Amino acid sequence: MAMDTERAEMRALEAEIAVLQQASKQLPAPWEDGARVRKSFQEIHQSDSAGWESSKDPKTHLRHLEAELSFLSMLTGFNITDYSKKTEDLTSTEMTEESIKKVLQRHRLSGSCHVVTFQLEFQILEIQNKENLSSVITDLSIVMEPTEYSELSEFVSRAEERRDLFMFFRGLHFFVEWCEYRKRTFKYFKDKYPDMVHLPKGACSLCMGIRSTSRPGFELVIVWRIQIDEEGKVSPVLDLLTKIPQRALELDKNRVIETAPLSFRTLLGVLGIEAAVECLIRLLHAGNE
Amino acid sequence: MEQANSVRPDGEPKAGILAHLEGLEAQMSRPCKRSKELQQARAEESALGTKIHELRRLRDKLRAEVNQQRARGKASSANVESGQTVEIGEQEVLERKQESVKAILQAYRFTGLSGKQTSRGVCVCISTAFEGNLLDSYFVDLVIQRPLWIHHHSIPVFIPLEKIAAKYLQTDVQRFLFSLCESLNAYAGRKYQADRLQSDFAAFLIRPLQRNSLCNLLSFTYKVDLMGQSSFCARLLYKDLTATLPTDATVTYQDSLLGTEALSALREEQRASHEALFCTKPLHQVFASFAREEELDLSLAS
Repeated sequence: MAMDTERAEMRALEAEIAVLQQASKQLPAPWEDGARVRKSFQEIHQSDSAGWESSKDPKTHLRHLEAELSFLSMLTGFNITDYSKKTEDLTSTEMTEESIKKVLQRHRLSGSCHVVTFQLEFQILEIQNKENLSSVITDLSIVMEPTEYSELSEFVSRAEERRDLFMFFRGLHFFVEWCEYRKRTFKYFKDKYPDMVHLPKGACSLCMGIRSTSRPGFELVIVWRIQIDEEGKVSPVLDLLTKIPQRALELDKNRVIETAPLSFRTLLGVLGIEAAVECLIRLLHAGNE
Repeated sequence: MEQANSVRPDGEPKAGILAHLEGLEAQMSRPCKRSKELQQARAEESALGTKIHELRRLRDKLRAEVNQQRARGKASSANVESGQTVEIGEQEVLERKQESVKAILQAYRFTGLSGKQTSRGVCVCISTAFEGNLLDSYFVDLVIQRPLWIHHHSIPVFIPLEKIAAKYLQTDVQRFLFSLCESLNAYAGRKYQADRLQSDFAAFLIRPLQRNSLCNLLSFTYKVDLMGQSSFCARLLYKDLTATLPTDATVTYQDSLLGTEALSALREEQRASHEALFCTKPLHQVFASFAREEELDLSLAS
């Protein structure tokens, strides 16, 4: 009985082994499979990378492009973060006969220049005839942040009206440069004369106050505006305001205080901004001693 | 008996002592024979067992192999799949990134200032426009080393490039470029206005417009309708080379028209208003307004 079951088991085993051997032969060897797959990937890579310009490695190429981008943003001072374009062919059949091509491009561009961010939408109509190609901006809209620079928002409306894209960027560049310069100058005086100089609305605002420490009530306020003209030219405009007690005004026989704003303008013309402001502070400082 | 029978199943019954002896012998050998049979059976059994054992081992090995192969097959195909998606996904992301960076690089031309890095520095492209009209572009090939210098450029000779370079190139490249931008755009703007006047409003001009290369000095003689023809000479001077509107506009009478006092007063008023217009509006727009006035006069007259 035992032998019989053993023999039966043997037969079963033999049968199972036969099946297993069959199965083993039918399954493809995994290493062969892998090799085939790898090869096809190499082909895909090669065919694709042939389309990429300078670099065979797409990652390296991307790094090159990104380096170029950061270089351009450093060079121009504009940091473009997003851009898209759509084109629409407006060429009619009659135009085709006269070999005129008319294309409307819709562009969206956003980025920043220092602290100011901008979002632009503009359309360019390109008309190509036999002799020449004309490109005209037909529509320009600009959204900017922050909006607290009133001079800038006026300028933006003008740029939109004139559809002058390059003037907008030039004006923005010079405006922001002047803002940075104003900020640096205010900070410099605040650091140098912390007791006398105060910036009521921070270094980014357009006012700087100079107080006499020994004579309370005496105060000079420098209002530094940054103007942008019709053509996008930026220039600083500085004014001096005086806060002097009435009693002191009465004693001012030579009307020094009354003529101070005008004198300050003259001083600016002669010395330049920094030296003129320094001069004013020293004047009050000397009065302290 | 049973035993004997069972011992000698094939044995013949023997008689006598011999038979007895044989019987004894047989009895003696019986256990031997039995053990032989047993041994045989045992051997057979153990052989079978060994075979089964071996077969089991073989089967287990084969089973393991097949399972492993199946698993590897699955794993490798799974690997291939995931590898594929990873690589393709990564590739797609890279490609998309590349395209967007390339597009942004291209978009810099809309700021009026773009550039391409060269082996030695940068080739800057400065675009010009007047109002919405996109005009010529110029390039400056800069070599970035100490001191910075201009290798090539396509800036017209009359643009004060050297002066601007001397002022800013070594200290502030950005300022240098923006100053150049300003000068080039102003020149392009002045030229555009003069060109438009010549091409679109030639009917107003008595003599062709005269201009210098910088287009910062324009002079022309024009006629406008004012109860009969009246002609003026205009001289526009742009002292500020970064401006597209004249700093000085002088309009004079072309002819000494004889007429009533009222007419000459009207003419003087017109002359003065033209001077003001030239200083505040682009040239071709001033003439466009003249053209509109004429049309209006004509329609009122008819």
